[in-house]
Amino acid sequence: MRDIEISVSEVDSPVVKRGAFQTFWKYRTLTFMCIPAIVFFFMFSYMPLPGIYVAFVKYNYRKGIFGSKFIGLQNFEFLASSGKLWSLTKNTILFNLAFILLGNLLAVFIAILLNEMKCKWFKKVSQTMMFLPYFISQVLVGVLVYNLLNYDTGFVNSALKAFGASADKLWQPYADPKVWPVLLVVIYLWQQTGYNSVVYFASIMGIDAEMIEASKVDGANAFQRIRYIILPSLKPTIVILLLFALGGIVKGNFGLFYNIVGTNPVLYESTDIIETFVYRATMTDFNFSTASAVGLYQSLVGFVIVMVVNFVIKKIEPEYSLF
Amino acid sequence: MKRKVLAALLSISMVASLAACGGGSKDNPKVDGSDQSADGESGGASDIDPNNPWAKWGDIDTSEHVKINYMVTGDKPSGEAAENLNKMLDKLNGILKEKVNAELEIYYIGWTDYLSNYNLTLAQMDGSVDLVGTASDWLDAWPNAKNGAFLELSEEDLKTYAPATYSSVSKEHWDLCKYDGEIYLMPEDNYAQWTNHGFTYRLDWAKEAGLTDGVKSWEDLTKYFKYVKENYPKVTLWDSDGTQFGQMAAGWVASHTKFVAIDGLSSAGLWGGTQDDLYTVVTPAYDNPEMMVEFAKLMKSWDEMGVWPTDVLNNTSSQNRDEYRVGEASVEQHHTQTWTDLCSHTDTNTIYKDNDKAESGFFYFGEETQNVVALSITHGAMAVSAASKNPERALMVYDLIRNDPECYKLFNYGIEGVSYEINDEGLRTTPKGYDSNTQNINGMTNYWWGRNDDIEIKDAQKNWEQIEKLYAEYDKIKIDYPYGQFVPNVDSIQAKIDNVNETYNNYMKQIAFGKYKGSAEDIVKEMDEALKKAGIEDVTKEIQKQFDELYKK
Repeated sequence: MRDIEISVSEVDSPVVKRGAFQTFWKYRTLTFMCIPAIVFFFMFSYMPLPGIYVAFVKYNYRKGIFGSKFIGLQNFEFLASSGKLWSLTKNTILFNLAFILLGNLLAVFIAILLNEMKCKWFKKVSQTMMFLPYFISQVLVGVLVYNLLNYDTGFVNSALKAFGASADKLWQPYADPKVWPVLLVVIYLWQQTGYNSVVYFASIMGIDAEMIEASKVDGANAFQRIRYIILPSLKPTIVILLLFALGGIVKGNFGLFYNIVGTNPVLYESTDIIETFVYRATMTDFNFSTASAVGLYQSLVGFVIVMVVNFVIKKIEPEYSLF
Repeated sequence: MKRKVLAALLSISMVASLAACGGGSKDNPKVDGSDQSADGESGGASDIDPNNPWAKWGDIDTSEHVKINYMVTGDKPSGEAAENLNKMLDKLNGILKEKVNAELEIYYIGWTDYLSNYNLTLAQMDGSVDLVGTASDWLDAWPNAKNGAFLELSEEDLKTYAPATYSSVSKEHWDLCKYDGEIYLMPEDNYAQWTNHGFTYRLDWAKEAGLTDGVKSWEDLTKYFKYVKENYPKVTLWDSDGTQFGQMAAGWVASHTKFVAIDGLSSAGLWGGTQDDLYTVVTPAYDNPEMMVEFAKLMKSWDEMGVWPTDVLNNTSSQNRDEYRVGEASVEQHHTQTWTDLCSHTDTNTIYKDNDKAESGFFYFGEETQNVVALSITHGAMAVSAASKNPERALMVYDLIRNDPECYKLFNYGIEGVSYEINDEGLRTTPKGYDSNTQNINGMTNYWWGRNDDIEIKDAQKNWEQIEKLYAEYDKIKIDYPYGQFVPNVDSIQAKIDNVNETYNNYMKQIAFGKYKGSAEDIVKEMDEALKKAGIEDVTKEIQKQFDELYKK
């Protein structure tokens, strides 16, 4: 490990200049080890790039992407002319912000709690319990939520009735758009937190044990240990995960929204995101090109956001920036 | 230097993927069929002998044994049902092998998200399907033809490879299967069925409620619901799911105007003409706010009465039809063809066994204004995938299934003596020990793309007396579907149609289930403003222009 670090600094220093081939030869073993990753990204991220062109054509199955007629920006027209672009983008971004920020916050919190637990079997059991919802398909989650919340036969209302609630006291969330932002965030956190906390838990495990022991010797209590050692050590992980997540902030969680809210227009005002709108509107004419145009729009906005955030982080803490 | 290497790599990747795409698209057009074997093309249509239409097939080279995949919407049978299906297919394939050296396999598109999966499978263009069951009104036949998913069927090819079908379909009907001068579909044009929608209801209960002739209007239906709710409290009025709003709104329009919708333009059927003036485009759901306000008011009262579940908009798993069969639901909204099953004393319809008086009536949308449009002949049609590697053999197999009595009966009813029997009156019955869950071949092959009344054997279980009475009533008032040849070019207005459709669906769900807030007048006004903003009038104008080009020559 040490050797590599030294040689990296050699390359960076302006005194030693080598040709590309020499550099390559020097690090041939490392490069060789990278090949699977390079091939993977080349095949699945770079090779399909020219396909973006499909967003600018009237796609014909037989003529293929590059044989189809070029129609410029016509595929983008539909999204722009719907008059909903702004409210859809707003909903998508706000929901994702809530998911990303609350999700990571809660994940860090849970990871620290797990780390502090002394009873081994309780730790394992609670970790497994939190992890399980991640494996439940969104379709099933939608069914579960419907059976909990629906007005006539839902669990919540049945319980209320059992306690003697009158008809006007029953809860009808499927007619009330205001409750859904909270409900959706809660459902998301229930499903994802266990999984997300694993990453943080792993990086807490990776913190140098010497530091923690030294703090104990110095008489730091649990809270001080968390505040001054664990949280600062987690900072790079948090920043990188946030940056990655921000790249996809304009991409909505279709599975979650479509399965739980469904196609109930009463709730769209607070729950309609780009994905669900595009799905409903274009499902009928099965147009790849429109869908790709929307995807491209989302990627471009995501790209801009990542660049801006990365730029800001670079100004504040250069070490944590991605590039 | 590094950058140069990177640039070189990137450009190589681009070229590579370009080449890959180019290669793919070059492969496909070769399946033209006409240039591969031109042997049997000497004769004309008049040469086809009705008694032995396949006489000339001897000249066709069928030395290579091929598999023909038939793509159909429906859930794949499993377990015992699949075994029974395979037994039938084995027998059928024996005949097909002998006659055209081919065998048939069924490729199922499950009902969940069927339209997306159907279109996706066609878009793959990998030759995995040959024969495609399609429909111009509910399976995107024309968009797929335009997108290049279907093979153009030249008259020469049809004459050669599907002679029986070719000679049985009239020239006018072939014309209705053309887009841009090319035939893409083989229509199911010799099969009597009605798929106009309406409500199936309990005629005996309606009579008890004082509706002696049965339900004849939406107002009668309201009366019926009130009666059932009071007198049969255990019965669910209608366990509707959230998708029923479209048919209800279209039904209301049919019952209050002489509107004739254009198929396949938008799922809601917003645009069309009127029986008095077929070629002037109108949109009654938008043009006639008073009528829609009435609708909104009535539906609000239905909602308050509890006709459907409170959270109907989120209800996706409705079993209403099965509930109707056993007497747990009071109506079923679907088309006449479904009613012909529900009104018959079959094993699954236990209401008739449980109650001697039970009867099922049908209130069809448009009954008040006598507005019924006959089915378009491309409501069911067979197409050949443009990626099919054996289009000729696919046509031959189709020709046999559609016209050869032996193949037809096998494919539609199963093996005689196992899945069906013919009684003394020449009607079709089920043999002893028949289990409709595992032996109903008809419900597994889902052959809705070329049924043939010349070969059909009537089902003895069906309530023919009642059915034929309604069919006769329809025949008196029906008009033929007038827009069969109109395949709109929507490229310039697709975005607007999508937006209008989306807007309309959002409002209509609230209106048709009475879930709107505020007054009926307000919600209809709000919908009309949103529709206008979404461009409904521009679309109307464009369709009118295309109508004029086609019909005012």
